[in-house]
Amino acid sequence: MMAAAHDLTLRMIPFLDRHLVFPLIEFLELNKVYPAEDLLKAKYDLFNNSNMVDFVLDLYKKIHNTEDTPQEFVDKREVVLNRLEELQGEVQEVMTILEKPEVIAALRSDKAQNLNYLKENYNLTENRINILYEFGQFQFSCGDYGGAADMLYHFRVLSTDTERAFSASWGKLAAEILTGNWEAALEEMQNMREAIDQKSFSSPLHQLQQRSWLIHWSLFVFFNHPKGRDGIVDMFLSPQYINTIQTSCPWILRYLATAVVTNKRRKNQMKELVRIIEQEAYEYKDPVTEFIEALFIHFDFEGAQKKLKECEDVLSNDFFLAATQEDFMESARQFISETYCRIHQKINIKDMSQTLNLNQEEGEKWIVNLIRDTRVDAKIDFEENTVIMNTPVTSIYQQVIERTKGLSFRSQVLASAVKKRAEAQTQAAVESAH
Amino acid sequence: MSRFFRSASDSESDSESSDNESFISDDLSDNEVDSEGEEEKQQDDQPKKSRFLKGTGDDSDDDSDNEFGGKRQVKSQKDKRLEEMQGSVKAIENGQKNSDWTRITNEFDKLAVSVTRATTGFDSIEVPRFYIKVLSDLDDFMQETLQKEKSAKKKMSAGNNKAVNAMRQKLKKINKQYEKSIAEYKKDPEAFMVEEEEEEIPEPIVKKKVTPSEKVSSVETEAVDDGFTSVGKGGKAVVEVTNETLLTKLRETLENRGKKNTDREEQVAVLEVLLQKSKSPFQKISVLLALISSRFDINLSMVEYMQLKLWKSVEKELNLLLEVLEANPAFVVCENAEDLDNEDKDITPAAGETIKIRGSIVSYAERLDDEFTRSLQHIDPHTTEYIDRLRDEPSLYAILVRTQSYFEEYQMKDNISRVLIRRLEHIYYKPEQVIRSIESATKELLPKYISSKITSSEDPTQLIHQICSYLYKQSASVLRTRAMLCHIYHFALHKDFHTARDMLLMSHLQESIHQADINTQILFNRTTVQIGLCAFRDGLIKEAHAALQEIQGSGRVKELLAQGIQAPRYGQQATPETDQLERQRQLPFHMHINLELLECVFLTCSMLLEIPAQAQAGPNNKKFISRPFRRLLDYNERQAFSGPPENTRDHIMSAAKALASGEWEKARDFILAIKVWDLMPETQDIKDMLVRKIQEEGLRTYLFTYASYYSTLGLSQLSVMFGLPVSNVSAIVSKMIWSEELSASLDQVSQCVVLHQVELSRLQVLSLQFSEKAANLVDQNERLAGVGRDNSKNHN
Repeated sequence: MMAAAHDLTLRMIPFLDRHLVFPLIEFLELNKVYPAEDLLKAKYDLFNNSNMVDFVLDLYKKIHNTEDTPQEFVDKREVVLNRLEELQGEVQEVMTILEKPEVIAALRSDKAQNLNYLKENYNLTENRINILYEFGQFQFSCGDYGGAADMLYHFRVLSTDTERAFSASWGKLAAEILTGNWEAALEEMQNMREAIDQKSFSSPLHQLQQRSWLIHWSLFVFFNHPKGRDGIVDMFLSPQYINTIQTSCPWILRYLATAVVTNKRRKNQMKELVRIIEQEAYEYKDPVTEFIEALFIHFDFEGAQKKLKECEDVLSNDFFLAATQEDFMESARQFISETYCRIHQKINIKDMSQTLNLNQEEGEKWIVNLIRDTRVDAKIDFEENTVIMNTPVTSIYQQVIERTKGLSFRSQVLASAVKKRAEAQTQAAVESAH
Repeated sequence: MSRFFRSASDSESDSESSDNESFISDDLSDNEVDSEGEEEKQQDDQPKKSRFLKGTGDDSDDDSDNEFGGKRQVKSQKDKRLEEMQGSVKAIENGQKNSDWTRITNEFDKLAVSVTRATTGFDSIEVPRFYIKVLSDLDDFMQETLQKEKSAKKKMSAGNNKAVNAMRQKLKKINKQYEKSIAEYKKDPEAFMVEEEEEEIPEPIVKKKVTPSEKVSSVETEAVDDGFTSVGKGGKAVVEVTNETLLTKLRETLENRGKKNTDREEQVAVLEVLLQKSKSPFQKISVLLALISSRFDINLSMVEYMQLKLWKSVEKELNLLLEVLEANPAFVVCENAEDLDNEDKDITPAAGETIKIRGSIVSYAERLDDEFTRSLQHIDPHTTEYIDRLRDEPSLYAILVRTQSYFEEYQMKDNISRVLIRRLEHIYYKPEQVIRSIESATKELLPKYISSKITSSEDPTQLIHQICSYLYKQSASVLRTRAMLCHIYHFALHKDFHTARDMLLMSHLQESIHQADINTQILFNRTTVQIGLCAFRDGLIKEAHAALQEIQGSGRVKELLAQGIQAPRYGQQATPETDQLERQRQLPFHMHINLELLECVFLTCSMLLEIPAQAQAGPNNKKFISRPFRRLLDYNERQAFSGPPENTRDHIMSAAKALASGEWEKARDFILAIKVWDLMPETQDIKDMLVRKIQEEGLRTYLFTYASYYSTLGLSQLSVMFGLPVSNVSAIVSKMIWSEELSASLDQVSQCVVLHQVELSRLQVLSLQFSEKAANLVDQNERLAGVGRDNSKNHN
């Protein structure tokens, strides 16, 4: 039940495309978080309106335990196939034109010009290009994501209709995600982000909604792309997106927190994350954020330890985070011990191991590794079975040096800037005098 | 006579009556010049008038028509008349002495005219007793003269003789009218004259027995005779107000509205009569619209508030109007209606037709609400009168609800929002239970069929939400802003700090509130303060302090919250106008946020933040979190003797001093001794929270202050000292170490804090300060250069 309590699927569904929800439900089925029957029904409802007739039919049969095919499915199948053929025929024409080498060579970056060129030479009007969009949409609905991505790509290159191109981008992003083409998806997502930031929306609310969508969709990319964890931290902590998270979807904090914890190079982001988690604590809480809260706000190491155990469970049941679970546990332990070491001077290894959820020998090993890795100035007193930390006291001289280090350089820069400006001004004065 | 006229001088009508005076004298001189015709007319009129005269004059003990006595006449006018009459009486008496009949006749004519005028119409008075006396005396004198004349005929001049004869005729006629009174007088002259004084007192109380037609006709005649007002130009004859003439009458009355000579109270009286006479819905609606407006006209001053009786009658009439409108959906009152051209005929709508009548119910409701507020501003809040007045709120609120549902019916969007904002402003500052009770009281006051789609909820929070969401959709930004602030206030009042804060931040009101009107700014201030209090109740000291600081730090709390007039500051002279405006902005007492509580909360928060910060920064630091608190504390410390704390401020100052020296228990006792806390809901929770905070901050202060004297401190010892669990203590210490506030570390094995002594030499301290200043200087230079660059860019 724990897993169900912390399951976010339900909250995320409104922000996802129906096709994107599918993997989530599959995952839930695999983990047996919810009764299989319910999930089956959910899947059925999910795709009932789509063109994946055969798939829906299978589901229908499974739910109703029958082998008969209701008439409506037969009809629908007919309709879909007809439409498919019709669209395919039209698209075929357009594609043959587009694939001609001389056409490819003639196309430039100026869209209006391209359109003119196609119209004059091949009678390819805007309307016919829109067929590409429709076909892409249709293919997507049928579950042929690769084809859809291709169609939408061509459409976007040619079309001048910004609204449609925008929708096409969304479609392409979804298609790339579903085909598992992460490199392309990441690129697509970056484009999307720029487009949303630059596009002028009729109301801020609309923009907010678009951003929330992007946040949710991007989770697929970030947790599957090898460099995703850098990206997620950068993107989600940027002012617009952190605001979006705080206003419309605080549950994303779990993913942000996980990303920050597991990302070894982004430790300085922790402070910011802590601040946000503290602010939003009244609105959203789950073991992951509570772990951060316990460790960095309340300095309650035992509490953090307890939460960490819960995290293990939550992570393994989360579609996006299941893969990062090990990583997270490791990094979280490191965070606990680092914090612990910074605050303490003398630590009992036995207690420490307990805090880290390890047995004594493992704990000792772990501490040794820690000392080696993070270069903490510490020694183990074997006789007393303690670790003694040497807290480095920054001497006053050091402090003064630190503070004044950059001053001279900065002043120089400043001076030269002022000088330059003065020169520019005199020059301008001279010019105007002439 | 003075007692009779004790309520007489109405300053406003002074100018009016002085105008009238000249008018009268003109009239009189006319009378003197062409006497006969005038006189005849006078006498012709007499019998008609006698109906009232009899009532008013003779039998004041038989129920009678005194309706208009005392209550509605314009007194100063009457004053003048009486003076006039008495002048005439004197002249007649003088004439008797000299046997100058010509003079007597003239004066008597004057007197008769004055008396008939005074005793008829709206402002009729009883026939003055001295008039009766004069009549009787004259009669006697006449007999005497006639007898004398018989004996010495030649003594009298021709002119005199003629006058005597004319006089005899007149006296005969008039005496017939006043037979009874004269008889009474003759019986016992002295008693009769004494009676007069007594009888006049109960007069105003005698009430409404007269039939409407009589009243109106009396108005009519009065108007004709007077020539003061143009009412009733139509005809001199007494006209019964019938269904047909009612609207004509109404129009005539309305035409006089706002004219200088119009007597507003009299207009109201006329309209009241018309209301009773009106039967068809159209008539009723038209008369009610006029009547309500005229009632509001009576009090034009912005300072005075409407009399309660008047207010209540308006309330009643507005309800009546709404009732009529609800019962007759064919009539709609709206602002943008065309003027009806019905030639004073009654209108009965054809089936399915709706007739628009020009009028503005929303402004009536608003005005009524304004007057309510104004009366509360003026009534002393510590009297029962104030409480009695507050009891009228549900009925006013009911009217608002009723008008709202009326507007909803006809989809008058602007009006809906205007009423809704009024409604919201009646409930936003109230706790849930109170809203619930006012809502249920309203339900009882209103007929069952009143319902609303916009505000369908029973639950107060839901209700406010519904009202606000409707207002958010309006285009007028004032409405949206006010609705937003009220909504936030409501959340803050009900301890929902986060929602309130988030709403405030997301509305971005702080940025634009400076451009808003003053009342909205006051509402904004109230909201901010309420959020501060809410944060305090939630134990969020820092947030509470931040929210309260702006208002409390200004030193003009009263003014900013419109809860009293601040004494003018030195060098600032308030002009009477601004003073007046400020007085009008004052909130009624029952809406006030307790200022003492506010100060207490603010200072307590300041103490909890400032004392540890001071301890951390060491002595002589100039940074402060809360300037007002620091000033108070400094002042307190400068005092040579300080007695035991008396007021709230003293208590907090003593607590602060105790806290600074590590005596948290003493600080706790001081803080808990403050009585204002009892005004907060959930007092005990708040006190518990305060104790916990004092313990924590006490620990921090202690560590900052005394760290340099220890090399180690046992966690368990600290825990005993500050009454906190060990885990709490270690968490606090860990936090301080982590954020580098305290240079120390924990020893897990022996469970103690190891303090790293860093004793700085004087030189080191100075060099640190110097390096800091140098860094600041460079920062500042860079900023300056940056500004310069931007400017030069702009120039280019």
